Amino acid sequence: MRVNVAIHPRLRVAPLVVVLLVLMGIAFVVAMIRYANGIGAISDLSYSYPWGFWISFDLFTGVAIGSGAFVMAATVYIFQLKEFQPLLRPSVLTGLLGYIMVVIALLVDLGHPERIWYMMIYWNHTSVLLEIGICVMTYLTVLAIEFSPVVFDGRKWNKAAHFVHRFIMPFVILGVVLSTLHQSSLGSLLLIQPAKLYPLWWTPILPVLFFISAISIGIAMIIFESSVSSRYFHRGLELPLLEKLGRAVPYVLGLYLIVRFTQLTISGKLPYLFTSGIMSVLFWTEITVGAIVPLILFSMSRVRKSPTGIFVAAVVLLFGMILNRFDVSWFSVKHPDPLSYLPSIMSNVKYLPTLPEMSVSVGIFAFGILMFGLAAKYLPLFEEEHH
Amino acid sequence: MSDIKSIQHKAFLFDATRCIDCRACMMACSVENNIAMDKTRIWVAGVGLKGEYPNLERASMVYHCMHCEVPACKSACPVGAYSQREDGPVLYNKDLCIGCRYCMNACPFGVPHFDYDKGLIEGAFIDKCTMCPQRIDNNEEPACVATCPTEALEFGERADLIKEAHARIAAHPDRYVNHVYGETENGGTSYLILSHVPFEELGLPKLDETPVTKVSEAVMGITIPFAVTWGAVLTGVTLGVRAYNKKKEAGRTQDAEANSEQPAEQSK
Repeated sequence: MRVNVAIHPRLRVAPLVVVLLVLMGIAFVVAMIRYANGIGAISDLSYSYPWGFWISFDLFTGVAIGSGAFVMAATVYIFQLKEFQPLLRPSVLTGLLGYIMVVIALLVDLGHPERIWYMMIYWNHTSVLLEIGICVMTYLTVLAIEFSPVVFDGRKWNKAAHFVHRFIMPFVILGVVLSTLHQSSLGSLLLIQPAKLYPLWWTPILPVLFFISAISIGIAMIIFESSVSSRYFHRGLELPLLEKLGRAVPYVLGLYLIVRFTQLTISGKLPYLFTSGIMSVLFWTEITVGAIVPLILFSMSRVRKSPTGIFVAAVVLLFGMILNRFDVSWFSVKHPDPLSYLPSIMSNVKYLPTLPEMSVSVGIFAFGILMFGLAAKYLPLFEEEHH
Repeated sequence: MSDIKSIQHKAFLFDATRCIDCRACMMACSVENNIAMDKTRIWVAGVGLKGEYPNLERASMVYHCMHCEVPACKSACPVGAYSQREDGPVLYNKDLCIGCRYCMNACPFGVPHFDYDKGLIEGAFIDKCTMCPQRIDNNEEPACVATCPTEALEFGERADLIKEAHARIAAHPDRYVNHVYGETENGGTSYLILSHVPFEELGLPKLDETPVTKVSEAVMGITIPFAVTWGAVLTGVTLGVRAYNKKKEAGRTQDAEANSEQPAEQSK
């Protein structure tokens, strides 16, 4: 590296890259402080709020927006709709980077990051978290395999690329199964809190709702990242493909709404819809922004056929569905009120993520964006496969 | 719930009408288990003074691990750091803990506590009441019980204590709320509570008889069969689509194949 710098003294680095590197640097320093002085030194997490911003953003949102990978893998390999091939590689990369980011975030959030591998050998089979841990670790491997042909193509290792291709199907199916399991299990993670989660959100079918919404999030993410990267990397937008993909969204969201409201009706929770104050507001916001509005937008061919229209529709969906993940994992969780039973030194029922806490997530996110940029620049990410 | 199991279980009985808020139990626990006071395993809840002089009333409650019959912490822990002894105590093994804090989320009582002030070198762990198994094995009562000056805390066989609690309510129905908290809550706990004020005022959550773990464990139970079935279905779909596409391809003339190199690439 030094040699290169010496030969090209006017090394030009895009300003965005500098910003990303600075953000990563800040996150690194903050993480070091956390490793030295404890999680309390950088975050507002407490006895009452053992999980906060990191879990809602890095784990729940991170895994959800990684769902594009399995949606595309299923579309291209299982349903063999080969026309969608150009969208496959970027979405697999997003998934791969997304899950790497989840793991990095967990290395900050876990009390004992050096023991993360204990999940591979000490199994408590009743734990939903164990299932998620194992699925995520295995799925990371699968994603790496699914992505490896891109690297091989880039290096012109055609034999290796060919080899992976011949045996890719079992891995694709395994990947879709693992995705189904852990996308839904993120919902199951909260099933153990029937007394803490607000009734509008706690339902035995949380895993089903999580899975259906993950599909819609996956499609929206593919549209989102294609739009952004087409602008940033000055390449053509696969609008006809995105338009076709977008046609699926109203069906997915329609199913989501039907399942969700049927469940609320059956369990007699409809009165909560309008009588829960801020909880009702949160519920209607996530339903409107995450499902109803995108359902309408994606149903209109005028919106789907416009680059801006389909982009906005995808962003709206993402906002609403991410709010849903925050609601379920944070906003609607009612912790026991320690004011009534904790000595004052411990009563800290309020939780507001601190700046250092959020800077860790931001830094990890910056890492993801930088990696995507590098891959887009140095790997045949947006090229069609050719053998 | 499971009667045979609970008969063997040891339990605490706490009578809020007897507690004088002296907090000797906190001290005793701290000394016995070598716990710093700011990381106490016991905390005394209080509603403070209520009413107008001279009709004053106060209530306090000693709060520590409820040692549930069906412990949610044990069910939630991914690496099995929690265990339950045959005689009831729910124990935590810090050598397995990865620090995920899922047990804190799972526990409906908010009992497990985490060392937020410890870095990697000191090691941050969960802590909670152990029911003093070292003393039980020595035929002694847990430290908090042994030190309680008013017998607000008592220790014994769970079944006996439930009987005793109901006898006390029957003897003084005017004094007690007619319910033994912990007899059925969350499937039963080994910490039983009698009170003269509503239990919510003591900071105790309203819980069903069904353990909070029921649905999540049921879902975990069907996970493997579901995964296998789902994998089989997806394999079936893949093969089905492939066969269908081939048929369609064959139906067309071969010149489609001759013209284009793209579509047929890797399917074979």
